[in-house]
Amino acid sequence: MNAPLHKQLEASLQHGVALQRSVDEACARIAPTWPLDQFIAVNPYWGWVDKPFSEAAAELARLSGASMWATRAHHLARWKAGDLRAEHLQAALASTPTVASASVEALTHALHQAAVVPPQLRLMTDLVDAPRDLTHHVAWRDFATHQISQHCAAHFDRHQSVWGAPQAQGLYATWLQQMQGDRSASLLMAGSDWPARVASLPAQPEALMAWAVKTLHVPEAGMTDYFTALLLSINGWASWCAYERWQVKLAVAQEAAPCDSSGAVFDADALSNLLAIRTAWECLLLRDAPQESLDSWRLSLTRCVEDVPPAPHDAQVDALLQHAAEFAYQAPLCRGLQQARQPVDAIAAKFQAVFCIDVRSEVFRRALESTGAHIQTRGFAGFFGLPIAYRPLGCAVVRPQLPGLLSPSHEVTDVSDDASLGQVLSRQRQRGLDLRTRWREFRTGASSGFSFVESCGLFYGAKLLRHSLPSVADAVPVEQTGLPGARGAASWRAAMADEGSSLRPRWNASAAISPADVAAQCDTAANVLGAMGWDAAMAAARLVLLAGHGSQSANNPHAAGLDCGACGGQTGEVNARVLAALLNDAQVREGLLARGIALTANTQFLAGLHNTTTDEVVLFDLDLLPASHSADLAELTQNLSSAGSSARAERAPSLDLNVEPTAAKPAQLFRAIKSRANDWAEVRPEWALANNAAFIVAPRWRSQNLNLAGRAFLHDYDWQQDSQLKLLELIMTAPMVVANWINMQYHASTVDNARYGSGNKLLHNVVGGRLGVFEGNGGDLRIGLPWQSVHDGDQLRHTPLRLSVFIEAPQANIQTVIDKHAVVRQLVENEWLHLFQIDPAQAQISKHLRGKWTVV
Amino acid sequence: MSGLIQQASGWMVAARSVALLLVPLLYAAAAVWAGTVGPSRDQTARGWSWAERGAAAALLLSAMSLLALVWGRPLSVAAGLFIADALSATVLLLVSFIGWVIVRYSRTCLLGEANQARFQGCLMLTLATVSVVVISNHLAVLALAWFATSVALHQLLVFYGDRRPALVAAHKKFLASRLADLFLATAVVLIASTEHLLFIDQIGARAQALASSGALPWALQLATVLIVMAALLKCAQLPVHGWLIQVMEAPTPVSALLHAGVVNLGGFVLMRLSGLLSEVPAAQTLLVVVGSTTAVLAALVMMTRISVKVMLAWSTCAQMGFMLMQVGLGAYELALLHLVGHSLYKAHAFLAAGGAVEQARLQRLSGPAIAAGAGAGAGAALSSAALGLLLSAASVAGAALLWGVPLMQEPVLWVLSFVVCLALVPLLSAQAMRVGGWGSVLLVLGSFAVALLYFALHHLALAWLGTAARPQPNQPGLWAWVVIGFAALFALQTWIRSQPQSRLSRRLYPWFYAGLYLDEWFTRLSFRVWPVRLGSSTVLTSKGF
Repeated sequence: MNAPLHKQLEASLQHGVALQRSVDEACARIAPTWPLDQFIAVNPYWGWVDKPFSEAAAELARLSGASMWATRAHHLARWKAGDLRAEHLQAALASTPTVASASVEALTHALHQAAVVPPQLRLMTDLVDAPRDLTHHVAWRDFATHQISQHCAAHFDRHQSVWGAPQAQGLYATWLQQMQGDRSASLLMAGSDWPARVASLPAQPEALMAWAVKTLHVPEAGMTDYFTALLLSINGWASWCAYERWQVKLAVAQEAAPCDSSGAVFDADALSNLLAIRTAWECLLLRDAPQESLDSWRLSLTRCVEDVPPAPHDAQVDALLQHAAEFAYQAPLCRGLQQARQPVDAIAAKFQAVFCIDVRSEVFRRALESTGAHIQTRGFAGFFGLPIAYRPLGCAVVRPQLPGLLSPSHEVTDVSDDASLGQVLSRQRQRGLDLRTRWREFRTGASSGFSFVESCGLFYGAKLLRHSLPSVADAVPVEQTGLPGARGAASWRAAMADEGSSLRPRWNASAAISPADVAAQCDTAANVLGAMGWDAAMAAARLVLLAGHGSQSANNPHAAGLDCGACGGQTGEVNARVLAALLNDAQVREGLLARGIALTANTQFLAGLHNTTTDEVVLFDLDLLPASHSADLAELTQNLSSAGSSARAERAPSLDLNVEPTAAKPAQLFRAIKSRANDWAEVRPEWALANNAAFIVAPRWRSQNLNLAGRAFLHDYDWQQDSQLKLLELIMTAPMVVANWINMQYHASTVDNARYGSGNKLLHNVVGGRLGVFEGNGGDLRIGLPWQSVHDGDQLRHTPLRLSVFIEAPQANIQTVIDKHAVVRQLVENEWLHLFQIDPAQAQISKHLRGKWTVV
Repeated sequence: MSGLIQQASGWMVAARSVALLLVPLLYAAAAVWAGTVGPSRDQTARGWSWAERGAAAALLLSAMSLLALVWGRPLSVAAGLFIADALSATVLLLVSFIGWVIVRYSRTCLLGEANQARFQGCLMLTLATVSVVVISNHLAVLALAWFATSVALHQLLVFYGDRRPALVAAHKKFLASRLADLFLATAVVLIASTEHLLFIDQIGARAQALASSGALPWALQLATVLIVMAALLKCAQLPVHGWLIQVMEAPTPVSALLHAGVVNLGGFVLMRLSGLLSEVPAAQTLLVVVGSTTAVLAALVMMTRISVKVMLAWSTCAQMGFMLMQVGLGAYELALLHLVGHSLYKAHAFLAAGGAVEQARLQRLSGPAIAAGAGAGAGAALSSAALGLLLSAASVAGAALLWGVPLMQEPVLWVLSFVVCLALVPLLSAQAMRVGGWGSVLLVLGSFAVALLYFALHHLALAWLGTAARPQPNQPGLWAWVVIGFAALFALQTWIRSQPQSRLSRRLYPWFYAGLYLDEWFTRLSFRVWPVRLGSSTVLTSKGF
């Protein structure tokens, strides 16, 4: 008697374990999306990097209908333009062993044919919709998406609505509560038994999942795929929930509380709750599904699992074409890199300028270098290695200023030269912000809005007029609100300097610091300098410019996406200023000396911000620069300004500016670009990282004579200075991963904007102030880049190519890092990027191909 | 000398009429020109140039005609088929200004979109028909132009014709508008067949004359009620508001045009017909009841919205209700002020909706506790609001006194000043005063300035409309209704903001979150009566509905 019961228990226990594992696996497939005010790039396929690129593509196509390949039409256009040629197809074929029937002819033929859309796993919503007349009725799939989406928005919103949803335990519980009272489904879609169906849902998400698997008869082998497909059907909100999870993980790693600075607690279970909600919808609709289709549906859930690979021929063609397109880009680049020669007698440069690795820096660096041999530039991650978060003076908010992969360990804030003045300013700002809050309540309050428009509405006529006329004002960060001089916009920094009230972001809020703090500062400074490639050239420079970057646009929900991704979607100003101050500090310099880094008074560090939209560089804290360096400063300023002119002239043709000829009238072009940046109707303020394609980890001379057209991330690296491989390890696990995230964000937003991009900017509707955007009224939350960020209306501005990484170092060194880090191994071996080695000795380039190095 | 002035003034009147007529003609010409250009980049750019030039010229002309009106004030208003009085001059200037802003905005943001010529054509055509409505003095012309506006706008609303939600929303608007057109047409026929006139100024005069000699004939009364119902439908009043909320499926400038321009026409037409409307208490009552109910409910729903554009849309719905309520109360000058102020505000709010993220960043700077405005106990919150009410009553009364506004003799003004009192509370509550120091002084002075501005603008609007303002009807029941309605809104809002987790707030939330299911009923009905055709676009490519 006992044995069967025991067996039953065991079986159900095993089933429960399997269920839980399936849920976890499905959830792990979803990549996070960051809020709009910290909109950093994410590889939306991050959950799939454990599989080869083409296999992930096949799985995604089956589970959600997504495509990871560029369209045939895109390749055809490049073929016709002569960018893609037979030799590239040949090279692609040669590097891919498993193709039986493919030939160059077959591929060229395929260029003219649309790709075959593989069959997609159907969900219960699709089964129910299949027999319905969808030309006259709303689809259940859309209805469910909309309902879930609206619910998630209300649940996660902290900034838009002033009357929020009642808080209960978890996303699923609040949803269930809402569904029980909701009548819209019965009114619009369903029959009279709808409330009874809702009442039958279990109260706990785990119970729901177990019940659903039983009710729907989901075979155990098909659970993971089915759950993944369900999550992908509401991918936008799933990505948001994954972000909550990501933040909890970071906080746990730091042993910190899992909440953001405004006190909102992140929910690690939101994603599995969301899955439960979507699964509940499937159960609710089960009764409406045509009975005859259910058996074949259940079969389809498992069938695909058993016979996924080999990929069908058509998908292989797409993979080959993708490879060919990448060859077409890599071939000339490899030649160029091979031809570079190290300068024999390097002139000691007077100025060293360190820029972010961002592809936009490449154009500017080239322009700056061309102003003379007295300037050398370097590439380094734009957060300058500082693990900081920033609290603007007197504010409640703390924002991370580092890549999303990391969590901050130190908080910096604004410090005034005069401590008492700082307190006054802080109080003033709090008051100012307080008054703004009151005014907003008056403006938008339910019972105030009527009188507001009658008394103050006319002023908006002036605002409309002002916004409709061109403006060449400078960018004013929102963090300046409530500080003196901030309203004037034009030169708030100058105004603040005049008033002697300069606020400077600093590592230490107070002047009194302990020896331990000093030691920590010195360690950080030494690490950063080491990573930056500290050498004799830098030691001999008069000025070292640390240039962060930021953008300038108006009325743009995705503005943070144009700022520095390495700085957590903020401008790099804070990091550059904090580091420059640290490195100019006498105490720190003493400590650095003890660590083997000798900095003399001859070398001064200078913080700057490269405006990537207008190619201006603003310099900070100039009043602190010793008089001995003022002549150098004047020269550098001059160089920066002429570099700005040439960089603008280079970018102008891509911006549709009616300035002819662009090179001849720099002042006119500058005004045009400025007013474009400030135009509230502009949907393409700059092209940001569009068309990024390569990541070059090498000394600058290797790429200096090449025009990389703003398509390459450049990281300086001298393998001879890195005997421990610490730097290489850092570069391959952090900047390279970040570059992959950026590259894949652009890739996904280009090849499948409907699922991984945020669609049309003209329809964008910001949700919850910062959660994301809807395209139009509702639907799923949209993640990724707007269509306008990758397409100019006539053609794609981003060519979807996987990142080509070039590292100048011995093969063994690179291999060591690959072997040590699973993430790096997956990215490389599963072809999420191409890895090339530049042989330092022989100027020979090899490609990492299926675990082996092959000379190109 | 006086002859010279007379001559000059006469010339001005003539010039004004011509100028007025030129406005729609300019738009129409630009529509034809821009709407027929080819699809290439150069051609669309040329189309936009023409559209922009047309819009600028129209703006200039309307500004000039308004200035001419200011100068030629003592002269009688030119009225024929078209009318150039204070009302039309003001609204025409408003429409052409917003039109100019929107054309410039669209030109930039639509760069690279397909079918721009169609957009240009329909946009200019919409502006042309709106301006005909505004200057028309003939009821049939007005009704036709209003109908044409709706048709032209419809094309803009379905600019992205492959978006199923766009089609559903536009279809609902189509149904509501056709019903409104039917009402309007019936009214026109009724008036024409019984009174044999269709010139609006004459209808007004006839109604006044008839009223002073007894009651209005039933046909005229019925016609007025029908016109009011048409206005309610076209102003997206509950429960047929759904289409207005869901038209976010069209490009941002179209939302701005609709919410700042076209939707106001209902209020405008009623102001234009104020001579007739003032003599039909039933119509006024209908306006006040529906308008104020919509204002109160939509304002509460607005509090629950989670996306910026939809929040703005519910706000429009509420604001339209308020304006129609003012029309119903006979406060035409305030209704006009509301129309102008709201249009400018809402056009800006929609066009600048992308700034929502920056607004959220700003909110985060000041931290969550202040942003939520909550945290205090129920007693503290209520006494804080009570103090605010006291202070704001004092500042409103002070401002009224300073301007010499006879509040006591004009109950309607008294009622509407009460709403101003409630409005100023967020600036003056005890919680707001806690900012301390010059902050509190600034708040008190600021809210007093707002009150002063309110009465100043009221004076100005009254003087500007002059003879157009009618004596207000004596309907104490309606006044009480309005006062109670807005007091309830205020109390509920204060309670919900300070006690979001209270039983009442939690009970009410689902209902207001669901928009009271009113639109679901309407959608269900419209799907049954006249189903929309959604096209064959696949489910997957168009998420949401």
